[in-house]
Amino acid sequence: MCTGSPSSNGSQAEESSENDNQQEQRSSTEQEPEQIQSTAIVSCTPEEVLADYGENIKLLTLNSQVAELLTIIRDKNTTRSDFKFYADRLIRLVIEESLNQLPYTDCDVETPTGAIYEGLKYRSGNCGVSIIRSGEAMEQGLRDCCRSIRIGKILVESDANTHEARVVYARFPDDIGSRQVLLMYPIMSTGNTVLKAVNVLREHGVPEKCIILSNLFCTPAAARTVVTAFPKMKILTSELHPVAPNHFGQKYFGTD
Amino acid sequence: MGSELNCCPASPTTVPAKSAFESPMRRSGRRQRTTSIGNQTTTANPCEGIIRSNNRTIYTAGRPPWYNCAGQQVEPFVIGICGGSASGKTTVAEKIIESLDVPWVTLLSMDCFYKILNEKQHELALINEYNFDHPDAFDIDLLIDVLTKLKEGRKVEVPVYNFVTHGRESQTKTMYGANVIIFEGILTFHSSEVLKLLDMKIFVDTDPDIRLARRLKRDISQRGRDLKGVLKQYLNMVKPSYANYIAPTMAHADIIVPRGGENTVAIALIVQHVHTQLQLRGFKLRETLANSYKDQPMPDSLHLLHPTPQIKGLHTFIRCKNTSRDEFIFYSKRLIRLVIEYALSLFPFKSTCVETPQGVLYEGKRMESRKICGVSILRAGETMEQAVCDVCKDIRIGKILIQTNLKTGEPELYYLRLPKDIKDFKVILMDATVATGAAAMMAIRVLLDHDVPEENIILASLLMAEIGVHSIAYAFPKVKIVTSALDPEINS
Repeated sequence: MCTGSPSSNGSQAEESSENDNQQEQRSSTEQEPEQIQSTAIVSCTPEEVLADYGENIKLLTLNSQVAELLTIIRDKNTTRSDFKFYADRLIRLVIEESLNQLPYTDCDVETPTGAIYEGLKYRSGNCGVSIIRSGEAMEQGLRDCCRSIRIGKILVESDANTHEARVVYARFPDDIGSRQVLLMYPIMSTGNTVLKAVNVLREHGVPEKCIILSNLFCTPAAARTVVTAFPKMKILTSELHPVAPNHFGQKYFGTD
Repeated sequence: MGSELNCCPASPTTVPAKSAFESPMRRSGRRQRTTSIGNQTTTANPCEGIIRSNNRTIYTAGRPPWYNCAGQQVEPFVIGICGGSASGKTTVAEKIIESLDVPWVTLLSMDCFYKILNEKQHELALINEYNFDHPDAFDIDLLIDVLTKLKEGRKVEVPVYNFVTHGRESQTKTMYGANVIIFEGILTFHSSEVLKLLDMKIFVDTDPDIRLARRLKRDISQRGRDLKGVLKQYLNMVKPSYANYIAPTMAHADIIVPRGGENTVAIALIVQHVHTQLQLRGFKLRETLANSYKDQPMPDSLHLLHPTPQIKGLHTFIRCKNTSRDEFIFYSKRLIRLVIEYALSLFPFKSTCVETPQGVLYEGKRMESRKICGVSILRAGETMEQAVCDVCKDIRIGKILIQTNLKTGEPELYYLRLPKDIKDFKVILMDATVATGAAAMMAIRVLLDHDVPEENIILASLLMAEIGVHSIAYAFPKVKIVTSALDPEINS
């Protein structure tokens, strides 16, 4: 099923893994990403994700088009202009899919010709929260879908010495506790940043099940960490792959 | 253009045709297109609002369907006109077009197919010793090729011959789409293969004295030649050639028109015959479409967007009659974006391996070809253009204007502008809604006539009626159809 499992480390990539040894998978992500590996690492399929992490983590439907977007974003030879263009497209798709996780009610409307269309309606009063800085890249995508949505921000910094993540700044709409929250953070490699951010949200009275995490690239380790810590939170990502494109924020904002 | 608009009827189908044709054409005089209008437009029948041109291509109102409900071509009617030099062939052709009153007529002249002369022949031509009236002076193979393609309804590039340099201009004239083709020239009946392509053969027989008189007048005043040279050419080449090659072909003619263009009785007879022939080939497309394919399973070429709650929610907004225009546009745009993203995923992809900044290889996919272009069906399709531009950098956009004739209910083609090498492109054809599919079918037919392979076309639409899907899928099974929702029937 999973040909290049996350446990594969370079030369072992072709090793077929029937194993569900999570321990091994987790340790593998601490590998040194510096050396170029002979075989490409393959990301997890939706079935594996469902089996391994439960149904609260969802993958964007991986069609060829999405695969191309992922490829362009990961390619180190992609120009910055292309990178931003295609990243924005992927973000748009992820946001659209995240919005699908919001609760809705049935709603019948009358069409101009007088027929009744059995549609549905989303509750108003959602809000977005982006984790500074790379999460801000996703704000525009959210605004393109929901014009007047309120957006809060959290700044999480990791200490240079201890690598401990801590929240430096957080600003939310006052009534965030009564809203559905779309938490935006594109790259998760350890998941620590998101843990801190969700904790802040909970301190502000947001129930865990009201949080939807929009993410582009996630490592299996991060997925495991976050799912374990917050089993009720919904997570939407486009790819579960042992190596996260950590250059995302740098390249998107042009500070590389 | 203003004066012509005045004599134009208030019919909504004819007014856009005029402005669409004329405004771009007049300004860019050098561009020659099928849809172009010559510089001497006259309105023969103001009630019909038909535009006439003096010499080349004549398009009038929109073009009704030229294919049957299976999307297959109905062959255009080809009229061949033969006759000696200056016998009045062109006049006869123009009179026929005028009286026919059929839109989408193409006039093809044999003069376009003169061979390119080498230096020696060019010098001979300058001293009036090259025989332009001999069959060898024409590129018959090219002629057959062009005429065959035209008859198949395909787009062709017709060479433009320069009588000064005796070579072909680098620019060619694009001819596309005609229900009637009129092919005229001095040796149109010479080649037996050309003869086979002609549905009707007319020989214009004019008295040699009159022809010589006309020729003298034309060559001296319009082509700047001297009397001596013209006479020499006439006696040495034109006259013998007429006797040897042109006059004998009179035997092939279905009808011989004496006195050329003045012979109104003969022209009336011809026109009557052509009308009968066209009626035999005609059909009502929309009716056929609406009556077929009931209770059939959906075809494989239909790709419906995965119905997520969001998409349903968007549809709720779009369909609700109380939605404001602003909201309607906003939510349609979101939906269109999703449709286009999905359509792109249907193009062929190839696997690649790329290096990442993290130092690992990443196995991904890239689109096989970057050559994608969008073609929108005006007006509704234009709303989707922005979305295509948003997802494909620097994409080329072609446009096709198809309007429904309010009287007959048939779609009519008014205008088209497509990227130059569209046959090399993958095409996303856009129309916001597809009801019976008549307009979309016409647009697909246009693309096929421009040599775009059927499998390279994706039809993207917000909303489609089942009937439209069936018609299109039946006629063009390889065209992929992408839409966000399927309705049993459409309500604008």
